[in-house]
Amino acid sequence: MWLMALFSFREAWRKKVALIAGVLTLAFLILYGTGLHFITRDVVNTANPAATATSYYAMMQSILLFVMGIYLASFLVAGLAILAAVGSIAAEIDNGTLYALATRPLSRRDLLLGKFLGQAAMLVIYAALFFLALTGLVYWQTGLVIPGLVPALSLFILEPLVILAVTMLGSTRLNTVSSGVLAFALYAMAVMGGMMEQIGAMMDNTAAIYAGVVTSLLLPADAVYRRLVATVVDRLPVGNGQDIPHFLNPQSTLGPFGSQSTPSDWMLLYTIVYIVVLLAAAVYTFKHRDI
Amino acid sequence: MAIIEVRNLTKVYGRQTACREICLSVEEGQIFGLLGPNGAGKSTLVKILVGLVYPTAGEAQVVGYLPQDTKGRRQVGFLPENFRLHGWLQGEELLIFHARLAGRDGRAARQRATEVLDLVGLAGEGKKPVANYSKGMQQRLGLAAALVGDPRAVFLDEPTSALDPLGRRQVREILLALKEAGKTIFLNSHLLSEVEQVCDRVAIINRGTVVASGRLADLQAGPAAVSIRLGGLSEKLATELRGRYQDLQLEGNRLTLALSDREEIAALVARLVAAGCRIYEVAPGHNSLEDIFINLVREGEQTCG
Repeated sequence: MWLMALFSFREAWRKKVALIAGVLTLAFLILYGTGLHFITRDVVNTANPAATATSYYAMMQSILLFVMGIYLASFLVAGLAILAAVGSIAAEIDNGTLYALATRPLSRRDLLLGKFLGQAAMLVIYAALFFLALTGLVYWQTGLVIPGLVPALSLFILEPLVILAVTMLGSTRLNTVSSGVLAFALYAMAVMGGMMEQIGAMMDNTAAIYAGVVTSLLLPADAVYRRLVATVVDRLPVGNGQDIPHFLNPQSTLGPFGSQSTPSDWMLLYTIVYIVVLLAAAVYTFKHRDI
Repeated sequence: MAIIEVRNLTKVYGRQTACREICLSVEEGQIFGLLGPNGAGKSTLVKILVGLVYPTAGEAQVVGYLPQDTKGRRQVGFLPENFRLHGWLQGEELLIFHARLAGRDGRAARQRATEVLDLVGLAGEGKKPVANYSKGMQQRLGLAAALVGDPRAVFLDEPTSALDPLGRRQVREILLALKEAGKTIFLNSHLLSEVEQVCDRVAIINRGTVVASGRLADLQAGPAAVSIRLGGLSEKLATELRGRYQDLQLEGNRLTLALSDREEIAALVARLVAAGCRIYEVAPGHNSLEDIFINLVREGEQTCG
């Protein structure tokens, strides 16, 4: 299994998947950093002239900019996770490279889990570097050290693993295109559901909240993002009564990017179980199918 | 001792039966040829034997294990028909990886990779990316990957389809050398002449069923045509022979007929000589594998309508 994991990890590097993703990410960071620079300068200094760089208002603006960056970064990380996993089984069967591997003294479980581990390692490194680059940019431009950095980083890393697991399950049964479409559709649904849930929470609309919960159960990627936002915002000091009143929920200032309806610890546990169950299902499907 | 044992193996895909109650037995140290027209079920059978496809019914054992058993797979090599190798690796890296999957540690894997590269005629090409290999080189590399674990049984599905005549001869020599070393080779090939040259036993499969199997020499020793140039054949004897041999043809002084066994030729000649015929030439027909194959496949088509 570890040999297969190392093979998959090397494959991602050698096929220049990580390099291309890295170049695109760098372009994203340059764009984001430029926007951050000007938005920080204008919003903090002109939108509320009473606010200083260290005021609560400025801090919330910085958090909003950070959260928006994370939100968009999640798309890139999810895209990489889907593109990496979608070919892991289906494409290798389509192009015939799996025949030689699947007849080696290596169980199909080890083959699949090895691939998962190799790709997961690549995604974890990529997501971690991306997250740290974003937090670094925010610190450089606004002076804000993101609160709850380590748990937030862990949650950001968890997001692609959820998507990797669901894509890998699709890849064991469907062909390459179908499993890719399924994964992207599920992700889009999860993001849409998450957005509906937050709007529902702001409007006290129970139906919209439940719709979000259901989509989170189908793919808890957005739920992990919302928990990440909550982890950061909950660690902020409460409103100091100067530029933001005490009673104002800081999540509400983040709009649809915030986490008004925060996923519970149970949802986090569900996410972990979700990954394990989907991987078990992928192993079962792969083990019992003809190649 | 049978190293490959197949009992009543059936594989059904939806409403299509790819293999129907196939029974085969391959002894250790033999080169076994599997023949059949396109779509006969050959590749399905090979895929079942290497554990890629599950049978619907029946059982197969290879080197004493079920095909999916990893203990058995340590002793099995496989070159698939429509395969591709990981193009981002160098040839040598690919073989080292396969050798390690087959259970060798890093140093032994490197050494074995060099050996098999040399064996298939790719010595000095190991540092090139696989993506830059020609089709023929990729087929040689695939063969090297099949052999890198030093298997007891090797399954080769069309191993020479992309090779030039020189490459084909080289592969034939490798197969014979492997046989000398006591390895068992299960060869699935469309090239009947190739099978004829290297195989000890063959099975012919048509519409998912084995229609003939056995030693190549036995299959070729079946019904045989004979052509005899003679003089002094009386009308009475000709009538007698026509009654006995339905395919008999008499053109001038040449008599052609089909015998059920080659052993009958001597008795026929003795009968003709005893009847006062002068024998100038006896030319027994040769049952090529191609003749046997085509006859069996045609018979199958007529039977199935």
